[in-house]
Amino acid sequence: MLRIYQRLWQVNWAEQWQYRANLLMYLLYWLVSPIVYLAVWTTVAKSQSSVNGLTANDFVTYYLTLLVVDTLTTDITIHVLAYKIQDGTLSAELLKPIHPILTSTLINNLAFKMLMLMVMIPVWLGLALLFQPDFGAVTPLSLLLAIPAVVLGMGISFLLGATMTCVAFWTTRVYAINEFYWAIIVLFAGKFVPLSLMPPVVQQLARFLPFQFFDYLPIQIILGRLPPDEILRSFGMGVVWFGLALALFLAVWRSGLKRFSAVGA
Amino acid sequence: MKAPYQVGQVPMPSNGERDLSASKTDTVVVEALSKTYQVPEREGGFAAAVRSFFIRRYRDVHAVQQVNFRIGSGEIVGFLGPNGAGKTTTLKMLSGLLYPSGGQTRVLGFTPWERKADFLRAITLVMGQRNRLSWDVPAADSLLLNQAIYRLSDADYQQTLAELDELLELGPILRKPVRNLSLGERMKCELAAGLLHRPQVLFLDEPTIGLDITAQARIRAFLKEYNRRTGATILLTSHYMADVTALCERIIIIHQGQLKYDGGLTDLSRQIAPVKLIGVALRDAAPADLSRYGVMVPNEPSLDGKQLLQVPADEVAAITARLLSDLPVQDLTIEDPPIEAVIEKAFHE
Repeated sequence: MLRIYQRLWQVNWAEQWQYRANLLMYLLYWLVSPIVYLAVWTTVAKSQSSVNGLTANDFVTYYLTLLVVDTLTTDITIHVLAYKIQDGTLSAELLKPIHPILTSTLINNLAFKMLMLMVMIPVWLGLALLFQPDFGAVTPLSLLLAIPAVVLGMGISFLLGATMTCVAFWTTRVYAINEFYWAIIVLFAGKFVPLSLMPPVVQQLARFLPFQFFDYLPIQIILGRLPPDEILRSFGMGVVWFGLALALFLAVWRSGLKRFSAVGA
Repeated sequence: MKAPYQVGQVPMPSNGERDLSASKTDTVVVEALSKTYQVPEREGGFAAAVRSFFIRRYRDVHAVQQVNFRIGSGEIVGFLGPNGAGKTTTLKMLSGLLYPSGGQTRVLGFTPWERKADFLRAITLVMGQRNRLSWDVPAADSLLLNQAIYRLSDADYQQTLAELDELLELGPILRKPVRNLSLGERMKCELAAGLLHRPQVLFLDEPTIGLDITAQARIRAFLKEYNRRTGATILLTSHYMADVTALCERIIIIHQGQLKYDGGLTDLSRQIAPVKLIGVALRDAAPADLSRYGVMVPNEPSLDGKQLLQVPADEVAAITARLLSDLPVQDLTIEDPPIEAVIEKAFHE
């Protein structure tokens, strides 16, 4: 099994390099909103010394960390799988004695993220030079603690993204439905603004939803802004959500396949 | 155009001809297999579009209906029929991509649609236009991936690859990115990827589609040799009759989802077109009216100016004798009608 993942990695990594121009486009799309928010909020915070207790440096460190965390947790499954379901090319993968999503789609995601991260380094360093962030609160321990949070975020994001993609088994409107899903993520993940600036209701809801693992939670842990008991509680929640997301994905995948093999796309 | 060959009723195989109580060597068993698709349907035009938004109408399309056949281990069987006959649907059911609406099928003792890993490791489905290969990397990388997926040891992998290389003359094309391969080269790589795990059962859907004559011939020779070396069971569809005549002793014909013929390729013409073609060249070269001897068939230039007569097979001797005594015959040949034409006719029965 390990060899399958290793070879999948080789193929997918090589494939990603074939799409350098494509990747740059993605990167621009990816970077533009965090950078705009970064500029806006630091300006606002500077003009009135803080916003809701967040200083200009808090915003700079938040968005610079977000760039990395978001790259790691964002799921691209819909872009690599939905069309295969719709045009029937998924068939070729179903003939292989492995689970196509939990092997090749997963590795495809990882290869894409790894390359994005590499391409992002110079941009990130440029931004850091420009905004001069103070990362004094980041410690080896906070980085270490962030690893399980990011892994849970990647896992949950991948499984929920794959589940949303499976909607393609039933409807061709899968991209519209995914836009709706994206809006929910934006609201509850802290993608555009730190969750602490959101209305209390949203913050309370977000605490119990899986989406904070995509951005807000790992960022807060890295930046040392979360007390240990809160970190522990979140990890517990994360594990439960991961289990739920896995069960949900497997169920939807199974019934989607049943439909696929009934209609013969 | 008038059909040149008179074709009789296509015989339906009866259960008496083949023993359906199953010998243990049957690799593929298909019993009363059916597949019905529900297809949404509406009239053209705006009003119909609005109506269909509220009320969906569906039509049942019976792609495969009550089809029965068995294929023994090591057989190469041609699976023929016009477009839309249900060939691909059947192959997809046999390889586990579709589950049947009715009846059942067993392949190597497995129920295909369960898609058990052991089943998938023992079969392959190669479809002309679909690809098993990653588009952006050389086929060699996809083959290495398949080695891992099918759990082949390094020794087995190297040996099979060397064999496939020898049979298909893969050579340098394995190292080119798949997107840069010609259609023929890609088909070879598809076959290599589909056969690397040495499947015992091969379902091939149009394996030579779009290839030039040389490439077609090479693929055919390869399949024959692969079957000889491994004893694999092969069920293939093709629109090229040359594929069928070169590879298959037995053919199964389906049309509109129903089985029309299952039997020997050579028996087919005897059963559905029991006729012979007599080619006659007369000494004075001028075409004569031979219609009192049999049905005159439009000639092709390649037949050295002979006139072609189609006659019932059991009267061929008598008619030949009459021709020889009545006319100044310079040359006379007796042939079977081309198998292409016979199959063609069988499709349309």
